[in-house]
This record gives sequence, structure tokens and C-alpha cells, in this order.
Amino acid sequence: MWKRTARGRELHFYLAGINNQNFLMRDRETGSWWQQVTGRAISGELAGSALELMPNDELTFALWKSESSKEHGHGLVLAPVAGHEKDYDKEWEKEVAKYPVPLTFPGQGLQDRDVILGVTFGGQARAFPLAKVRGQTPVEDKIAGVPVALVTGPDGESVRVFRSQWNGMDIDLYRDAESDGQSGGQSPEWRLLDSQGNTWNFAGCATSGPAAGQCLEKINFLKDYWFDWKNYNPRTTVYSH
Amino acid sequence: MKLRVMNQLMDRSENRRLENRGLWLLPGLLAIFSLSLFLIPAFVIRPFRHQSERALELAIAVKRIAPALTVAALVGVLALSLRLWRRSSRASRTGIVIALALSVASAVMVRQNYFEWMFHPIKAAGFVSAGDAHLSDKEMVMAVRIGQEARAYPIVQMAYHHILNDTVAEVPIVVTY
Repeated sequence: MWKRTARGRELHFYLAGINNQNFLMRDRETGSWWQQVTGRAISGELAGSALELMPNDELTFALWKSESSKEHGHGLVLAPVAGHEKDYDKEWEKEVAKYPVPLTFPGQGLQDRDVILGVTFGGQARAFPLAKVRGQTPVEDKIAGVPVALVTGPDGESVRVFRSQWNGMDIDLYRDAESDGQSGGQSPEWRLLDSQGNTWNFAGCATSGPAAGQCLEKINFLKDYWFDWKNYNPRTTVYSH
Repeated sequence: MKLRVMNQLMDRSENRRLENRGLWLLPGLLAIFSLSLFLIPAFVIRPFRHQSERALELAIAVKRIAPALTVAALVGVLALSLRLWRRSSRASRTGIVIALALSVASAVMVRQNYFEWMFHPIKAAGFVSAGDAHLSDKEMVMAVRIGQEARAYPIVQMAYHHILNDTVAEVPIVVTY
């Protein structure tokens, strides 16, 4: 998701091609060519420009509803486009998994279509296998010396990545054993604890403790297939603890 | 003396015949050139295939010049056809018609965005409130929040349409999946 402005101009994008199973887009204003995955213009008048990333989450609808109604009273949902309701394939991920891959990167312990969470920080790139993040949440690691925590939410599906530092100190986050395993993971009690006596919710905000009312910095990440992440981040390492 | 003149005349007619043969080849060559302006990028950016950076550069470069060049080629084929038609045999006329058809087809095709035929862009996005959305709780959405405005884009829809130009809290964004 990107802000669609470059060099002070508002742009409108459309699909114009495919590059290694990512899209190429063009903007109606200048006809420049852009990589969907990097947000960079690779050809045309705006070549060399980069779009600014728009921070966003992939959440279950239930979680999004609970968060957006709590804080904003309302939010809007993209409606199905008339005439296409039957085209939306809930099994699309299984379909995509059958596609051949245009590139393959064996040797780092991952299959081409393994889903990873890609984090880049301070010029370093690291891939966290989604299965691992789901199994071990929160996954704690350091990238370029910065402590990060990858967290699966109360629904077991939604993922967020936080900079696990508060007040200039590194904090250790761990699951609250008491809140675990309640009502199929939809428990409103879901929370993380830290070594400073805080409790944190899935929005990354402290609900009690000395940090109450403050929030951790969210870190952008890309949920991606391994082959694709590796292609655009050739020097990536893989989290393997 | 007489012989030399005759020889010269023969040479000249031979030349003309060669020149004509060249002329007859030209519409075909132009048509092939025109068709390649469509086919090269179409071949390079096939789905599911690897595109190297250089191949992609070539494909985009060809795509950028193709609209103008296919028209130029079409004009050339047309002009040659008019010039050659009367003198052409039936077979040559068939050739001319094929060259013309290919040139027209190329000029049309390089102006089409067939990716949009495949992927059905959203022309006018509609939105509903969370309460009115027919989504199951487990469905994944791409969520964005700017200021007081929150938006959810169901992934099953975005995985089909792939791209949406939207404006949230007066910030123009493009949602891609």
C-alpha cells in the first residue's frame, strides 16, 4: 500500500504488466512504469522516484472491527464490485500455491512459496517464516541492533511487528499464560506482558503498568512468498531460532 | 552497338524487376516488424516466467515506442500496397492483404492493455459500514487508518482486482495486492 503522490503530483495507477509474479503499474498522469512490490518507478518521466509506504495491517475482519469501533466509532469496508461477487475466490491462496514460481532460491531452508514476514531495518533484511511466528509468538529478535517482536494477535491470524523498546530500554515481551487458550483465541483478555510490569494489547499499547497509555513503535513488514522476498532482498537472512 | 543498347535495356529491366521484388518484400518486412513490436514485450512479460532486469527494460522500451512505430509501419504498408496493387498477381495481393491486416492488428494491440482484460480493475469503488459488510469474522482485510478514518479492504477482493486508487482522510493512496 502506497501513498500515490510523487514529486508533488497526485497519481492514479493501473495495472500494466507482470514482473516475476508482481505487478507493474503505470500512472495515468505520466505513463511511467512502477514496480508494485518496491514502489519505485523504473521507466518513464518519473523513473527513479519512489512512493512512500502507507503503513497498513492485515487483520481478520473481527479484529479490525473491534479496533476501529473502539477508537473511531466507524470505519468503511470496500464493497464487492457489482458483477464480480462470484469471482472472489476464498481459496485463492491454494490456487496461487499451484502456480509455478519464476525463480527459486534453495539453500536457506525455505520452500519457494513458504510465506514469510519480511522486515528491513537499518539496511538489513530478515525473513521470518510465518509458521514460526504463529507457533512461537511473540518472536523476538534483533535486526541491525534493534529489538523487534513479531506477534500473532488474539485471532491467531493477524500479525504485527513492534520495536520492543520503551523508554529507551529493551523490553522482553511474553505471552500471558492466563489469557492463553480462552474462547478459541478471541479472548478480550489477550495481552502480552513485559519485564517492566506492563501489559500490552495487540495494538502495541500498554493497558497497565508504568507505560500505561503509551504505544510501541510499529514496524512495517511485508508478508510475502520466500522466492519473491529473496529476489528483491538478495542479502536477506532467515530467522531460524 | 545495337547489342550494347540491348544489353543495357535488359540490365535495366532486370534491375527494375529486382527493385520490384524488393518492394514486394517490404510490406511483409514492415508487417513483421510491426508485429514484433507487440510480440516482444508480450513474450517477455508472460505471467509465471522470470523476467531479468534487462529483458524487462527491453520490453518496456519497446512498449514505449510501439504506438508510434506501428502507425508509421502501417502508413508504410498502406503506401506500398497502393503502389503495388495494380501490378500485383493474385498471390502477391493476398500477401499485401495479410501484411495490411497484421499491421493493423499490431497497431491496435499495442494500444490495448490486455492485463486489464484479465484483472478487472475497480472502476468506481463502493464502501459500506462495518455493520453492513457481508464478511465473516475470519476473513482477512488490509487495514489502513489515517487520522480518524479507518478502511478495510477484504483480501479476497483485492486478490482479484489487485489495485485500487483510494483517498483516505484526504490522503491519496493506492492499495495493491
